[in-house]
Amino acid sequence: MEIFVQLLLNGLIAGSLYSLLAIGFNLFYGTVKFFDLAFGTIALVGSYATLSFLKNLDLPLLISVMGGILVGAVLNVIIYKLVYVPIRARKGSNMVLLVTSLGVFTILQSLLAILFSSQFQTLRSAGYVPHIFHIYGASVTSVQVLMIALAVLVPIVMHFILKRTKFGRAVRAIGDNEEVASIVGINTSKVIGGVFFISAALSGLAGIMNGLDRGIEPYMGLALLLKGIIAAIVGGIGYLWGGVLGGFVLGLIENFGTWYLPSEWKDAIAFVVLIIFLIFRPRGILSK
Amino acid sequence: MKAIVWLIVIVVVIWAGWALLDKAPEAEAGPIMIGFIGPLTGDAAAYGEPERDVVALAVEEINAAGGINGRQISVIYEDGKCDGTASASAAQKLVNVDKVQAIIGGFCSSESLAAVPIAAAGKVFLFSPGSSSPDLTGINQFFARNYPSDASQGRVMADVLYAKGMRNVAFIQESKDYPLGIFKAFQARFAELGGEVVKEEFPTDSTDFRTSLTKLKAGKPDALFVDAQTPAAADRILQQVQELGWKTQILLNDAASDPALITKYAKLLEGAMFAEFGYDATNSKFAALATAYKAKYATDLPWQSYSQTYYDSVYILAEGIKAVGYEGEKLATWVRTVKDWPGASGNVSIGSDGDVVGGHSARVIMDGKATPLGQ
Repeated sequence: MEIFVQLLLNGLIAGSLYSLLAIGFNLFYGTVKFFDLAFGTIALVGSYATLSFLKNLDLPLLISVMGGILVGAVLNVIIYKLVYVPIRARKGSNMVLLVTSLGVFTILQSLLAILFSSQFQTLRSAGYVPHIFHIYGASVTSVQVLMIALAVLVPIVMHFILKRTKFGRAVRAIGDNEEVASIVGINTSKVIGGVFFISAALSGLAGIMNGLDRGIEPYMGLALLLKGIIAAIVGGIGYLWGGVLGGFVLGLIENFGTWYLPSEWKDAIAFVVLIIFLIFRPRGILSK
Repeated sequence: MKAIVWLIVIVVVIWAGWALLDKAPEAEAGPIMIGFIGPLTGDAAAYGEPERDVVALAVEEINAAGGINGRQISVIYEDGKCDGTASASAAQKLVNVDKVQAIIGGFCSSESLAAVPIAAAGKVFLFSPGSSSPDLTGINQFFARNYPSDASQGRVMADVLYAKGMRNVAFIQESKDYPLGIFKAFQARFAELGGEVVKEEFPTDSTDFRTSLTKLKAGKPDALFVDAQTPAAADRILQQVQELGWKTQILLNDAASDPALITKYAKLLEGAMFAEFGYDATNSKFAALATAYKAKYATDLPWQSYSQTYYDSVYILAEGIKAVGYEGEKLATWVRTVKDWPGASGNVSIGSDGDVVGGHSARVIMDGKATPLGQ
């Protein structure tokens, strides 16, 4: 019983990280319909910004986190304006945008490695030991509880934004058909900028929580991106609640899977799940 | 017009051929170029960078004393990244482009295992002061090391644990050659004595060990052996062991015996044990090394077990070059005749299989400090 609860918690913790990433990914993929390979590394930009605020400027945790998220989000908007807008204006295909994002990813990753060294670093201040809760014999820390809580709260907030605000309606309109949306008078460029801002903020939040729980290193970006994509595809690509579901499903399958299989197969399990879904249900579990 | 072009082509070809062929005989009066392969980036740079500094210190000392037969030593430092692929490219460059005759390295066993075939093909002497995988024993006539094999570490730990009454040990092991070597050596000896070992492996950049640890914990082992390649990985594992609230006898390998790590987890590691190739602080050369390092780099000598062997490796190599000249094959043969050579790591003797004679001894952690285990 205790083991089952522990595995369940492990799955939820991993799942909450994947969900947050998938929500951010689904938001911008559902709108602009191309893969941004730099997505995971933008999460790291936010995390490293938080690290700088915490360690170099000695700011309190909450301010550092918010500052870090802001830095990551603003950077993503700048990249959007400088790199993607000109290409989309020239009607660049999705392949071109994908390759461009690969370039952005490589540059950002190398910059992070140069500025912050490739050592693994944790966002926790030295000596901080989080409070540990015990449930039915299983353990979970306060940071992890917060992660799971955020993975539930954030989609609720996003759902409200998408369904009830003008901005959200514009996002959904662009997602349906960008050309028609601009014909009816929506400022697509500005709205998409907002989408880039929010999706980077979400992935930055995910990266920071992961950094607080475990730690960050500059080359994690691709791994984060892949898990986010798998979670998004499994749950229902382009759809908010699909990302949430996919994230938790992936986290649970990975952790219960490594119970039966040797743990070095953990990443392999994630990709096997992806392949199964792509073959049998490419739309994902939920669809719009 | 065509004739002029052909004339130019012929002149260029002859000139290029002359320049290339002319380079073949080694410049006898220039500096002696030695190669170095070690992890200068990534988690293992925690070792690679200080050891590069120790090598630089030794080279500086030898050069200040007149070099080798009047020639100065110059080292080409390459980053092995504690990875076979990176180390293989580094070795390729050193052997084929820089044309060195001797390489000090790798540090990680993965680096050495990958570099051995390349060094052997180029007849270059590969001398490792840090690789401890048992697979390197007698692997090739061009390889030797002055750091002992983990066959010794695994054996010592197995003997100690069995004597303490433990019969069931759980391993969490990084998927790399050095941790695997320790696991195999431990398991072989422990099974021989009648104990049982279970293990969970993890890939190098893993950060989530919760389920692997949960699985191992469920088997109710007598001890948990944290077998990682670097202190950073051991740190991540110990943090999650602590968060899972798992209190058990912990064992470490010598790579994780970082004083900073031991202090950080002092409570969790109280009573934990590990085996290391110890150092003797009363050894005069070792003491001189520690002082010189502190004077040059303004920080205490780290990783003493490895720093002493790295320091010695440069001096042993220098003595070899003085004795038989700077040529890979001759150096590799000569090093196997080294007997009771007085170094910072004690009296060094290299056997015919390329391994240094000597081994590991057990330590226990009390009050945040490692002390010899009285047996």
